[in-house]
Amino acid sequence: MKTYKQPNTVGRFGEFGGMYVSETLMPLLLDLDKSYKKIQKDKKFKKELNDLFKNYVGRPSSLHYAKNLSKYINGPKVYFKRDELNHTGAHKINNCLGQILLAKKMGKTRIIAETGAGQHGVATATVCALFDLPCYIYMGSKDIERQKPNVFRMKLLGATIIPVESGSRSLKDAMNEALRDWIKNVRDTFYIIGSTAGPHPYPRMVRDFQSIIGKEAREQILKVEKKLPDYLIACVGGGSNAMGLFYPFLNDKKVKIIGVEAAGRGAKTEETAATMTSGTPGILHGSYSYVLQDNDGQIKEAHSISAGLDYPGVGPEHSHLKNIKRVKYFGVTDKEALKAFQTCSKLEGIIPALEPSHALAYLIKAFKNKHKNKVVILNMCGRGDKDLFTAAKAIGFDADE
Amino acid sequence: MQMNNLDSLPKKKILSLFMTCGFPTLNQSKKIFNEILSHQPDIIEFGLPFSDPMADGPIIQEANKLALRSNLSTQQSLDLIKYLSKSKNNTSFVIMCYLNTVRKFGLHKFIKNIKNFVDGIIIVDLPFEEEDAIKKSLSKNNIHLIKLISPMTDKKRSQKLLKNSKGFIYYISATGITGSNKLDYKEINRNVKSIKKMSSVPVLVGFGIKSKKDVIDIFKKTNADGVIIGSALIQKYFDLKMDFNRYLKSLKKFIKEVKV
Repeated sequence: MKTYKQPNTVGRFGEFGGMYVSETLMPLLLDLDKSYKKIQKDKKFKKELNDLFKNYVGRPSSLHYAKNLSKYINGPKVYFKRDELNHTGAHKINNCLGQILLAKKMGKTRIIAETGAGQHGVATATVCALFDLPCYIYMGSKDIERQKPNVFRMKLLGATIIPVESGSRSLKDAMNEALRDWIKNVRDTFYIIGSTAGPHPYPRMVRDFQSIIGKEAREQILKVEKKLPDYLIACVGGGSNAMGLFYPFLNDKKVKIIGVEAAGRGAKTEETAATMTSGTPGILHGSYSYVLQDNDGQIKEAHSISAGLDYPGVGPEHSHLKNIKRVKYFGVTDKEALKAFQTCSKLEGIIPALEPSHALAYLIKAFKNKHKNKVVILNMCGRGDKDLFTAAKAIGFDADE
Repeated sequence: MQMNNLDSLPKKKILSLFMTCGFPTLNQSKKIFNEILSHQPDIIEFGLPFSDPMADGPIIQEANKLALRSNLSTQQSLDLIKYLSKSKNNTSFVIMCYLNTVRKFGLHKFIKNIKNFVDGIIIVDLPFEEEDAIKKSLSKNNIHLIKLISPMTDKKRSQKLLKNSKGFIYYISATGITGSNKLDYKEINRNVKSIKKMSSVPVLVGFGIKSKKDVIDIFKKTNADGVIIGSALIQKYFDLKMDFNRYLKSLKKFIKEVKV
């Protein structure tokens, strides 16, 4: 296999990606691309980021051998890459620190972001507090309702939350509004996109900042197992945690890689967020990738119990990895994810977020009594505190009592 | 090959009116466009509704939403434009849309459906870096790909962008500071002048033009060859609490006013 080298200079991962935005944003994206390339070679920038990773986030995150779950599955040895132990409780902070350092370098004075589950919003609000920059978070009103703890967190951190009432009132619409804000405030504003989605250079930049996850996991597993893992598993919404884990392993042909999407009420129903199982290539939020759309190219509303996966698009690099068959993608329903959420909590004493619960559900389902003597790394990309109310309601537990 | 109306635009004070197809319903939309067409503006821009119009403000977003409420298809929009073209004289017809609409419909099928009566197309989210194949097919059918220039486009980029441009140039006037909708005439004039040095096709100013006064001021204070009015035409519908008959009347009055 040729060495994996994506994207090309204009932000294409194979045929996917690119920059499909209005002329108001084009000059900004080109400028951002230039600045990003510059800081990649900047040793001071790297040092500053590594220092924050270590002392502010608490990296490296540990690699935990999930003994009880492994026993339950009666299959492979399962390791969790525990990015849920990061400061702010998810992997999102890795990318936010990278981008805010870049924003500082570019002299930007105002930060905007979109959020679905609120994890990226919290991470953005956190770095804005740390670097003393005003922070505006766009969040769908449906997500505000189901992610209340994170809304309060963001407010405590000093962010202004702008509820989005358009469309399905979730992540997609929040991103539309954030892009509109950026068009209006091009001169002073930096848009911190939280996923490997959007126009170039975001998919690449977010992947690069998140790839610390995979780099660490690679070293850690080589140390304990003396070999590379046989499988990697991660959930995919826009796809940042998954790209972070997968990227440093893409050239290791023997490592099989699995992305798990949210199938909502079922990949074949209208209520799904399984973009790569149920979608077709199209253009959303400035990039060409798989999207859920109708015959006229109107974007459909996604559905998932997990606000972080409730997105009708996916990062262009995932579309490419699907097409070249380097990564296989599967869908998991709300119900299956909820069950895995409970199983993991009971067996490992770790309450996972609903997002990685999808990856867990796939692992339990597909590896049960199979693949013995194999080693799996699953990206535990977020903790479940934010989902307690949603999960309690879905399971039928009265959390108020 | 049929003549392209955009090649014979008047020399000054060009008026372009934007309206979303299928808004608020397909039948009412026909009436709106008939009204607009009866005033013989120099250009009519037909907006094709898209579920995620990320470069549009709240008013056009709402118009898109209303149009899509009854599952308006791309074919229905194109048929509407074709039907209107029967009463078309010197008015240029321009389609304004997002790339996904064209892609999903199929570029060749799209062109086949609009050739001979559409003079130009603006694809909002198609930067010139990505336009080659589309531009080629359009030009074979004598349809001009209209270019947008924003206040953020620097001179070097403008030069590349404006090379071989046809029809007109759409200058996006809103520099945008949240909440401020004031037009910065000095900046507009500076940029329009600079564009005109690089290209000989007319420069039209759009975004944020709301009234007769704005139109007069643009022509008085800047070198622009024309204006584009969009949101202001749609806004009235919501101002009048969606009373369609009153809206049609007010539209008539407004268009008469802005034809300066």
